[in-house]
Amino acid sequence: MEFTGAIREAKKGTAELVVLAFLDDEPRHGYELAQLIEERSRGALTFNFASLYATLYKLEERKWIQGRWVEKAGQRRRRYYKITDQGREVLAAQRKEWLQFFQLIRDLAGVRYA
Amino acid sequence: MPDRELRHWKSLVRERADREWRELSLEVVDELACHLADLYAAALRGSSTEPEARQAALDALNAASFLELSKRPRARRSPVGIVHDLRIAARQLLATPVVTAVAVLSLALGIGANTAIFSLVNSLSLRALPVKDPQRLAILDAQDNGSWTFPLFEEVRRRSELFDGIFAWDTERFDLANGGVTEFVNGAWATAGLFDTLGVRPIVGRAFTQGDDVRGGGPDGPVAVIGYTFWQRRFGGGAHAIGSRLTLEGVPFTVVGVMPPEFFGPDVGHRLDVIIPVAMLTTVRPGRSFEQRDYWWLNVMVRLKAGQSLDQATDAIRSLQPQIREATLPTGWPATDLVQYLKAPLTLVPAATGNSSLRQRYERPLLTLMVVVVLVLLIACANIANLLLARATARRHEWSVRLALGASRWRLVRLLLTESLLLSAIGAGFGFLVARWGSQLLVAQLSTQTNTVFLDLSVDWRVLAFTTGTTVITALLFGVAPAYRAAGVAPMEAIKEQGRSTGAGANRLSLANALVVVQVALSVILVVAAALFLRTFTKLATLDLGFDHDRVLVVRMSAERAPIAPAQRMAVFERARQAVAALPGVHTAALSFVTPLSGNNWGNRLEVSGGVALDDSRRSALRNQVSTGFFETYGQRLVAGRVFTDRDRDGSTPVAIVNEAFARRFLNGANPIGHTLRRYPMRAGEASLEIVGMVGDAVYRRLRDPVPPTVYSSAAQSIDNLPTEVFNLNVRTAARSPALQTRSVADAIASVDRDLALTFRPLSDQISASLTQERIVAILAGFFGALALLLAGLGLYGVTSYAVSRRRTEIGIRMALGAAPAGVVRLVLSRVSMLVGLGVLIGAGISSWASQFVATLLYGLEPRDPATLVGSAAVLTAVGAVAGWLPARRAARIDPAEVLRDS
Repeated sequence: MEFTGAIREAKKGTAELVVLAFLDDEPRHGYELAQLIEERSRGALTFNFASLYATLYKLEERKWIQGRWVEKAGQRRRRYYKITDQGREVLAAQRKEWLQFFQLIRDLAGVRYA
Repeated sequence: MPDRELRHWKSLVRERADREWRELSLEVVDELACHLADLYAAALRGSSTEPEARQAALDALNAASFLELSKRPRARRSPVGIVHDLRIAARQLLATPVVTAVAVLSLALGIGANTAIFSLVNSLSLRALPVKDPQRLAILDAQDNGSWTFPLFEEVRRRSELFDGIFAWDTERFDLANGGVTEFVNGAWATAGLFDTLGVRPIVGRAFTQGDDVRGGGPDGPVAVIGYTFWQRRFGGGAHAIGSRLTLEGVPFTVVGVMPPEFFGPDVGHRLDVIIPVAMLTTVRPGRSFEQRDYWWLNVMVRLKAGQSLDQATDAIRSLQPQIREATLPTGWPATDLVQYLKAPLTLVPAATGNSSLRQRYERPLLTLMVVVVLVLLIACANIANLLLARATARRHEWSVRLALGASRWRLVRLLLTESLLLSAIGAGFGFLVARWGSQLLVAQLSTQTNTVFLDLSVDWRVLAFTTGTTVITALLFGVAPAYRAAGVAPMEAIKEQGRSTGAGANRLSLANALVVVQVALSVILVVAAALFLRTFTKLATLDLGFDHDRVLVVRMSAERAPIAPAQRMAVFERARQAVAALPGVHTAALSFVTPLSGNNWGNRLEVSGGVALDDSRRSALRNQVSTGFFETYGQRLVAGRVFTDRDRDGSTPVAIVNEAFARRFLNGANPIGHTLRRYPMRAGEASLEIVGMVGDAVYRRLRDPVPPTVYSSAAQSIDNLPTEVFNLNVRTAARSPALQTRSVADAIASVDRDLALTFRPLSDQISASLTQERIVAILAGFFGALALLLAGLGLYGVTSYAVSRRRTEIGIRMALGAAPAGVVRLVLSRVSMLVGLGVLIGAGISSWASQFVATLLYGLEPRDPATLVGSAAVLTAVGAVAGWLPARRAARIDPAEVLRDS
């Protein structure tokens, strides 16, 4: 699915939300996150891997997520990110904002679920 | 999971970051590489082939921009990465391997030569003796006689309140062999105070004591302490050395101790193998007594008291000088000399760096060589700066893009300086190897048959500091120009002028031209220096010695330990001479007290009947005592009168033969035959000599000295009370090389007396050894002069080639408009000749000013020798012509049509 115009612009702002949302269930590493995002969006959302990590580091700086090196048996040492309490609060607030935003769009522009 | 895959991706990530000049922390590189490796593995697990999988991961990497990533603090390296800079620099150097190789080679030679000469200067003049607290050591300056008598030393030592320690010593080569062909070791006579004063104890056994330092030896008889390397060489480092016998000059000594490995003695340049007590002199050299008041042979070293300054110590010893001098008046001296003796002030000079005759001899040559190698390094720097400048111009585009993308100027400059520093450090690394090898080679060159030079060349903090300093300064010298150019790049300017050839290129050219002028000027200085030293050496080596040194073997015959009555010695020597002269293959053989250029001499003040009035100081003449056949053996020309014959013996009229210089000095050039000469002032009971012949002037002591007035007397007439323990036999061989005659000569002498100790040396070796210093300076100056020429030629070639390539279009158009190839060559060469001409002028100017500082090292030519200056300028011009002609010829072959199509 290709987005154009307004949606493509909006997508840039959603990266942080998406990453936080995927980390809400469990800690994940960067590659796993990239795979998940691509899978769940059926390829509609992809990140260049450098910007994915740039986002992760930005969130880490803000203390919304926390990264830790973990070595699991038979696997490479990887850095796992988990959401912090502060991150959960931000996620909840953002979800609420987006919801309100969708409702507003629906009311104003007549966009409805199919 | 193979780690190799991860490492591979890590290096790709790092390289990518370097290309973008982004510095990523190790952790981030790990994480990104891990991601790519996962991507690759996943693709492999899917339906992709190996190359496809790899490409997929590579695509992801290539599509990535590290710009945003590197803004995140966690991604950044901290502190700002020198390793990162080094990696970029290394990559840059590897990208242009030829330039890098040329630069590293010139730096290795330049820095290597500097380090080599400096480590010699260091070990000769700067390094303190490896003993306890060397700063407190001082030497009793023996200006008047060059050494001291034992009684004087004893008088000072008795006054123990003066110093914390005192000892006297004299170095000498001792013969280990028991008669026959000699085998020498470096030895020293020393008083027992040596060990305590220097604060050095034997590592095995004991030192000798005051109790050992008595006539005939102490309770253990004659004892010796040996040096570490001698211990290793002779005894394999075994403990059995202690208590074993060592025969020195035929006297058996017992080894009682071994000195530590770093100890070489109080003389720098000389490593002691054996140390024996001074009192053994009487045993080893019968007829000599160490207590003689007129035997000057010892050096005296003292240890100052803690806190005592050199001046205080000198004052202290001077306050006791009258008593010390009075108690040690030399016997048999004329009254005038005794007054001098009493008055001469005792003076102490610092001795932390030890005593050294080598130092005085080599200080100036080494300093000169130091200047030479610094100049070579400067030329190398100019060359490398030019290479880097050319590269800098090629990289201007890249830099301006980087600046436009937000790299700071400082970062740009820092990167370039890192590159220079890395280059310089690699050069220094190789240079260090060159230096180790070079300095050892040099020291080996300093040694002669009779004098083995030892210098401690181990690396100390001074050498390290010197090399590091040189490396950094060198890097700055050749790195600043390109860095300066980089700092001047405007962000978009270079992009705009891409493809055009104006502006900055011309700037770079003027800087490069200036560097070439500097190179040429420095090369002129070096070539002038090389020419001066080479000509000095050639002049000395081909000097008319006044005798023929080919095919002469000098045999030193020592009867010191042979059981021959002193009165019989001359007769034994004469019989040995006759035995050798009778050998097949021997042309002539003759005895002499002194041989030319051996370093020994004998002389006194004389007066001649009917001679001119002379100042006392001008009455000195050198003397020699020779047998019949001497002048024939040496091929010395008889000018008037006759040579010695068998009739000149004890009982007949004492006769002398003088040289022309003598006649000039003492007789104003008049014919000396028939005049008589005698010692001045005459001593009681001494005979006058009648001059019966005059021979041509011949070199005596030093090649550089003008031939001194010389008087030869007959060895068969005992008139001078000369010591007769040692005499020289000079053998001229008929055809064979004199060295090949050694065996038969030794046998012939042994047939006369087995106990004579013999040392062989071809006369030409002796002469060659006397030219050691000049030879080394000439070889090195010549080598570095040639190197300078090569570097200057390369520099000139590079700059001209660059200029030609930049003016390709212009030249093409000129040729299209009808310029002939010869005209193009002229055009290019006119530029080159301007640069060379300017460089030669500046260089010649500096040379003619600077050459005064090496005047004392020269022989037979003026420092501002015009021929040398003109010759050097011509050589430089020739090199410049070749270096300029090659690119000029290329320019003349430019095809106008092609150029016009391209532009």
